[in-house]
Amino acid sequence: MNTVVEERPTTGRHAPVMDPAIAPSFPVAALPILQDTQLRKNVAHATDVIQSKRNHLVAEKKDWQELRNSASAMRAHVLANLGKYLEQFEANCTAAGGTVHWARDAAEARAVILNILREEKAAEVIKIKAMTSAEIQLNPALETAGIAAIETDLAELILQLGEDEPSHIVVPALHVNRRQVREIFAQRMGLSELSDDPKALTTAARSYLRSKFLSVPTAISGANFLIAESGSVAIVESEGNGRMCLTLPQTLITLAGIEKVLPRFTDLEVMLQVLARSATGERMNPYTSLWSGITPGDGPQRFHVVLLDNGRSEILARKVERQTLQCIRCAACLNACPVYRQTGGHAYGSPYAGPIGAILTPQLQHMRHAQSLPYASSLCAACYEVCPVKINIPEVLIELRAQVTDQQRTRVREWLDPMFLGMKAANFAFGSAWRFRLAQRFGRIALRGFTGEDGWIHKLPSLGAKWTQSRDLRGLPQQTFREWWATRDRSAGKEAK
Amino acid sequence: MNVSPRQRILDRVCAATRADSNDYAGLPRSYIRAGALDQAGRLRLMTERLREYGAEVVASSPADLPSLVAHRLLESGRQHFAAPPGLPAEWLSRSLSWKVDNNLSHEEIEHCGGVVTAASAGIADSGTIVLHHGPLEGRRVITLLPDFHLCILRAAQIVETLPEYFACFPQAPRLATYISGPSATADIEMTRINGVHGPRFLSVIIVRDSPTSAEIQSSTNEAVRHDAI
Amino acid sequence: MRASLFITCYNDTLFPETGRAVVRLLERLGVELDFHTAQTCCGQMHANTGFRAEAFSQAKRFVRIYRDAESVVIPSSSCVAMMRDQYPGLFAELGAESLRNDFHALLPRVYELSEFLNDRLGLEDVGAFFPHRVAYHASCHGLRSLHVGDRPIRLLNKVRGFDLALPANLDRCCGFGGTFSIKNAEVSSAMLEAKLADVLATGAEYFTALDNSCLMHLGGALHRQNNPMRAIHIAEILASTADHPYEATT
Repeated sequence: MNTVVEERPTTGRHAPVMDPAIAPSFPVAALPILQDTQLRKNVAHATDVIQSKRNHLVAEKKDWQELRNSASAMRAHVLANLGKYLEQFEANCTAAGGTVHWARDAAEARAVILNILREEKAAEVIKIKAMTSAEIQLNPALETAGIAAIETDLAELILQLGEDEPSHIVVPALHVNRRQVREIFAQRMGLSELSDDPKALTTAARSYLRSKFLSVPTAISGANFLIAESGSVAIVESEGNGRMCLTLPQTLITLAGIEKVLPRFTDLEVMLQVLARSATGERMNPYTSLWSGITPGDGPQRFHVVLLDNGRSEILARKVERQTLQCIRCAACLNACPVYRQTGGHAYGSPYAGPIGAILTPQLQHMRHAQSLPYASSLCAACYEVCPVKINIPEVLIELRAQVTDQQRTRVREWLDPMFLGMKAANFAFGSAWRFRLAQRFGRIALRGFTGEDGWIHKLPSLGAKWTQSRDLRGLPQQTFREWWATRDRSAGKEAK
Repeated sequence: MNVSPRQRILDRVCAATRADSNDYAGLPRSYIRAGALDQAGRLRLMTERLREYGAEVVASSPADLPSLVAHRLLESGRQHFAAPPGLPAEWLSRSLSWKVDNNLSHEEIEHCGGVVTAASAGIADSGTIVLHHGPLEGRRVITLLPDFHLCILRAAQIVETLPEYFACFPQAPRLATYISGPSATADIEMTRINGVHGPRFLSVIIVRDSPTSAEIQSSTNEAVRHDAI
Repeated sequence: MRASLFITCYNDTLFPETGRAVVRLLERLGVELDFHTAQTCCGQMHANTGFRAEAFSQAKRFVRIYRDAESVVIPSSSCVAMMRDQYPGLFAELGAESLRNDFHALLPRVYELSEFLNDRLGLEDVGAFFPHRVAYHASCHGLRSLHVGDRPIRLLNKVRGFDLALPANLDRCCGFGGTFSIKNAEVSSAMLEAKLADVLATGAEYFTALDNSCLMHLGGALHRQNNPMRAIHIAEILASTADHPYEATT
């Protein structure tokens, strides 16, 4: 299957860990990336390009807020009636010749897919990029089963051949530059004369993949939307590899999260308008494909849909968090996020990065892992502002922080964590005016020793060191505001209230 | 008792949403539905958007259409054109080599340098061509493998907004492909490269009933090349 | 016109000069100010770090103290955002009905400083004099929660001698984010560097915002880098007059 080549070119870094159950915490994972000036430049450039196109089109779209309202209400409506729409989708998809499977978790989804592939005696599969596929860690399972999984999205191909991981939902290889792509293609495709011109690289990928499209009989896709009313699936793409995988093979497996349902075909009039503008800054993406079950003579004659729960029904049950499932994976929040801008996707240790990743990932892990992700945000709300389905991401982040903290409360060891202790102490101080005044006085005295002659603090211990790593702190003034007010009242003879 | 995964998932979903009630008909829809342009305006906009994407656009009267089709295909420099089985015979100029798709193999279609089809609709706002893959548009594969796609769109088929398209076609077609320009990627350093997979060249003929297409010609930067027979 | 000043825990302790400026400014404009000494904190730091019950105890305290206030003025947009964005949920989930009612009755009377000047006093020109070039940073809570819009800019534009500079990316977060600046100190610093580059490019002598949180973050870095640009809260600019011009405390 895979021959071992000695010096496999990669994108030049160790493949980051994208399994949330074992990934390092966000602050730790971010450290090496913050040193990588090239990557940060690439991320800033990519997000700037998409954002500026997006902003231009949004300014042009006079009914943008109305579309957002409708998109948000529609997605909320679907979630509130999810059971009904899933059953409707299943019935209509089945009537049209598809087979619908239900997977409670990642393991079950992998098993269902492997089962189908075994029945098909598939040695290879061509794949269209699917977040859900990365979420359930499908490719390693395929590899173990001796099935070659060929990614056909250009970015995914680059990452697969380069043994790397995606760092953005829509532009997954934005952290890779042309020189690196050239090296990967040159070696893995045997093209020593290949230049690093993006056009030449793209042509190389086109040729390489075309032979696969024409010969591999089984394909796996994700789905952008499942239409309940007709049992149809819609896939939104730019490159055309989606159309190839959906049309040429004999068997198609579509893996979709249960939240992807829309009630009616006509509802696409809202979703498509907001998706393309948000995802790539276009009025419409180059290719959108829609199919319903099987059409004799046209396309795959065996079609399977695997509906994936994997924690979504739990999220659905929670009042504040349910809106997480409204997401249509446009990645506008990533492009707007000032935190993501500095770190790219790898710091999040999950296929889902950026603001949506910060709320979705820990929840899919049943709040057992990725607990640093809800804190990977300054709560600036730039994400909420651009979200086409109006997910109040800061609200969910704060809710998840409360859950993480509640878990900490149950663990005695955590009570000694400086941040935890500090919070409890501060709350105690804020509980009464005299305690607060005492805390102020205590703080003034305690920090006096750290205050330099210029009246500024340059170095603090413990948690304070995190501040003084890069910033000074002005020494605490001799007189607090309330102390000044008290003297002023006395001296001016004003009536104190 | 063995409860199926399906039942388990539906049980959990229903339990999570038991208290919810929501009314589809009551969903807010204050977005723009109908366009404001007249037909001439729609044609201008469609043409502009298509050209922004790098597609070639010319106008034609119905009478000129067959010769214009032949001309366009000759100009493309391709050999062998695929055609859907329902394509009007008069479009299949005898000076060109045709493969009508009565279940052609993928190899045979690969051998075709181009394809000619009609379309089901055009959406001017986004320059989108809609194929529902009926007899005049053909199976999906024939507009996918060949490198050059010549698409014949009637002016009356062009709507301005996406909601207008859905108003015309409220029932989901069995198959649909929405084309808004040649395939593109910006995956390498955000440099937009056109033509990854799928036809790299899209050429559109908009068929109007009016005798002149001066309105289209005058409003665009490029000269519209329209050769008579 | 009477108003109660909620100084905020961090202004009280770290930036009393901002409080003094607010007093000077509002009294000059004829507002009779009071200061309830029982006040401590709005609870934002706790709420945003996940300590919801603790945040609620502070929220309750706030409502009890200011229940009968004619208006409450707060020189910190993030604290007002806390009250508008998070107090409703906290009171709904954790509060008794009567306290919830008190809160909802009070909320419309709570103002961030630029809102108070613009909306309550109907002023853009507050008679200020500050002849310097100043860069303005749009604090995130003011921008996206409170939708203060261009209120601060309209106020600043009426300041005599004032030279307003708008940095590139003025609506991009500075990276403070409360405990984020500690928990994710390195990323916070990277965001800070980006913001500093934009602000420094204006060539301004000062930069200002609605919140001392943003200002201490940026100001702390400027001081560390020995840069002469100084942070100044908008209240201190607006309090500065020709007769009593602004004097830096350090």
